[in-house]
Amino acid sequence: MAELSVTDLSKELRAAINELEVSGDLESVGIVTRVGDGVAWVYGLRSAGYSEVLLIETKDGVVEAFALNLNEDEIGAVLLGSDETVSAGDKVKLKGTVLDVPVGEELLGRVVDPLGQPLDGGPAIKTKQRGLVEREAIGVLGRKHVHEPMMTGIMAIDAMFPIGRGQRELIIGDRQTGKTAIAIDTMINQGRQKTGVVNIYVAIGQKLSKIARLVERLKEEGVMDQTIIVATGPSDPASLLYLAPYAATAMGEYFRDNKKHALIIYDDLTKHAVAYRQMSLLLRRPPGREAFPGDVFYLHSRLLERSAKLSDKLGAGSLTALPIIETQAGDISAYIPTNVISITDGQIFMETDLFNQGIRPAISAGLSVSRVGGDAQTKAVKSVGAHLKLGLSQFRELASFAQFGSDLDEATKSQIERGQRLTELLKQHQYTPMGVWEQVASIYAVNSGAFDKVAIAKIGEAKTALLTRLWTDHKKDMQELNKGDEKITDDAPVAKILDKVAKAVAKGFEG
Amino acid sequence: MAQAKLPRRKIAAYFAEQLLAGHDVSKQVAAYLVESKRTREMSLVVRDIEAALADRGVLLADVASSHDLAADTKAAVTAYLKHATGAKEVHLRSEVDPGLLGGVRIETPDQRLDGTLRHRLDQLTASKV
Repeated sequence: MAELSVTDLSKELRAAINELEVSGDLESVGIVTRVGDGVAWVYGLRSAGYSEVLLIETKDGVVEAFALNLNEDEIGAVLLGSDETVSAGDKVKLKGTVLDVPVGEELLGRVVDPLGQPLDGGPAIKTKQRGLVEREAIGVLGRKHVHEPMMTGIMAIDAMFPIGRGQRELIIGDRQTGKTAIAIDTMINQGRQKTGVVNIYVAIGQKLSKIARLVERLKEEGVMDQTIIVATGPSDPASLLYLAPYAATAMGEYFRDNKKHALIIYDDLTKHAVAYRQMSLLLRRPPGREAFPGDVFYLHSRLLERSAKLSDKLGAGSLTALPIIETQAGDISAYIPTNVISITDGQIFMETDLFNQGIRPAISAGLSVSRVGGDAQTKAVKSVGAHLKLGLSQFRELASFAQFGSDLDEATKSQIERGQRLTELLKQHQYTPMGVWEQVASIYAVNSGAFDKVAIAKIGEAKTALLTRLWTDHKKDMQELNKGDEKITDDAPVAKILDKVAKAVAKGFEG
Repeated sequence: MAQAKLPRRKIAAYFAEQLLAGHDVSKQVAAYLVESKRTREMSLVVRDIEAALADRGVLLADVASSHDLAADTKAAVTAYLKHATGAKEVHLRSEVDPGLLGGVRIETPDQRLDGTLRHRLDQLTASKV
């Protein structure tokens, strides 16, 4: 234990006394008239602004709140802490600022709450800058079209629904269909491929054990150093759940505005909408469809609009968003899913049926789409994966016909066989994101027909064997291919290598 | 017939204007509050009336101190309040609270100036040195 020195202590005390703010002016004060369910109603403070921070002086210290309802006679404020210590009659002061959080590199590798306080037991976070929680999205002139790839490492996504830096791609599906797994793999891939992209994971009302497991995994994979986790648990007040995505976006905007690239995952916005519904109902705002308030669309649109690819003039940084939405029994026409689908630049739809059939990731080829990622797709992957989506959707349709067992012509049969091979090929285990060369080589092998004689059940093994052989025998070519800048045409030298090795490997798995 | 709830601010503005014009409407307002079952809001209405009076240049201020204030201190407080709020007329209501230890605390309907030793000590405790 450090030795306590009386002189040091008295010095500290003196400094603290000097620092005491002695305001020489009248300051506005209000009074708490009612409190409960995390909401305080305040009399007075006529000069309070929307979303301004209020300081409630309770017996046990100051509790912060922010003003959301500015009525004629009173203010409705949502508490950022526990409402147990707040009681009617407490004095309320204005802080004079709207909500802000610490932002900067110092947050990397940390687990924080939506106010920027550490939750990982580490030292206090001291940053040079703070970012506004509610900030206006960048305008038209400050933006550029999405053109750089954000590789997820998941073949089905990178080949069929490519995501670009600055894009907002929704991950939607029922519970237990692997939505979070996709997001985590994408974060891990940023570390494996050394893209330098900063990951921000926002847990909105997630079980704390799940967050702890995630942190462990990210540490194991070595990507925690480039990751920030903003965590809220189910027992946190609704106000913190509501703030979490905005606070995390402020942290992401720091990297976007400083010429860097960041990826933000909102897990999940359904819970966010539910937290906002709770707050709104307690603030007595009129309920609308599914009891959500009227501005629940704006709630998500203003959040996701902050993810953008900036123009060269502003440094060309980007913030990519992967919001997650949980549906009930595959109903994508519910209120929140339709809202977020219309806001984002495409969606990856996860299907329970596919998941149960063992097709994982359980991505639906028919319902998923990426509206802006085409320009951002790596050239190499684009050249081999061009007809993948169409082929796969047609196969699923044909396959349902084929179930009736009628005689099929040769062309249809071969299409079904190819589809089965593709489906098998696109299966991928969790925590195994693939690089560009691995994706290109695997898709090329199936598309070129080299694997046509390989038994469908053995496609996975054949793929692994192919990749191992390529890496041992043609490492340099594969490293070159991994850059992904070149189109793969049939007469390209690398295509010949792929063809040769694929055919050789396929022989071992025939039958 | 159901009537829309009259905002307190409007009640207060009416009361303040009538009061400044020399009419006592307290019975009328009290009757209204009883009839509309809003007697629980009484203390807030009183505060609102004070705020409405302050807006019209008549300021009611509570001054708390640990000892009785000397006349010149009261005059200084009055002068300060006139200067700080732009009020034409200031009425002080003094209160002695030995627990404040020293200094004065001035409270107007919606503002406060706490210069007491008690407040400073509380701040020091809250800063958790």
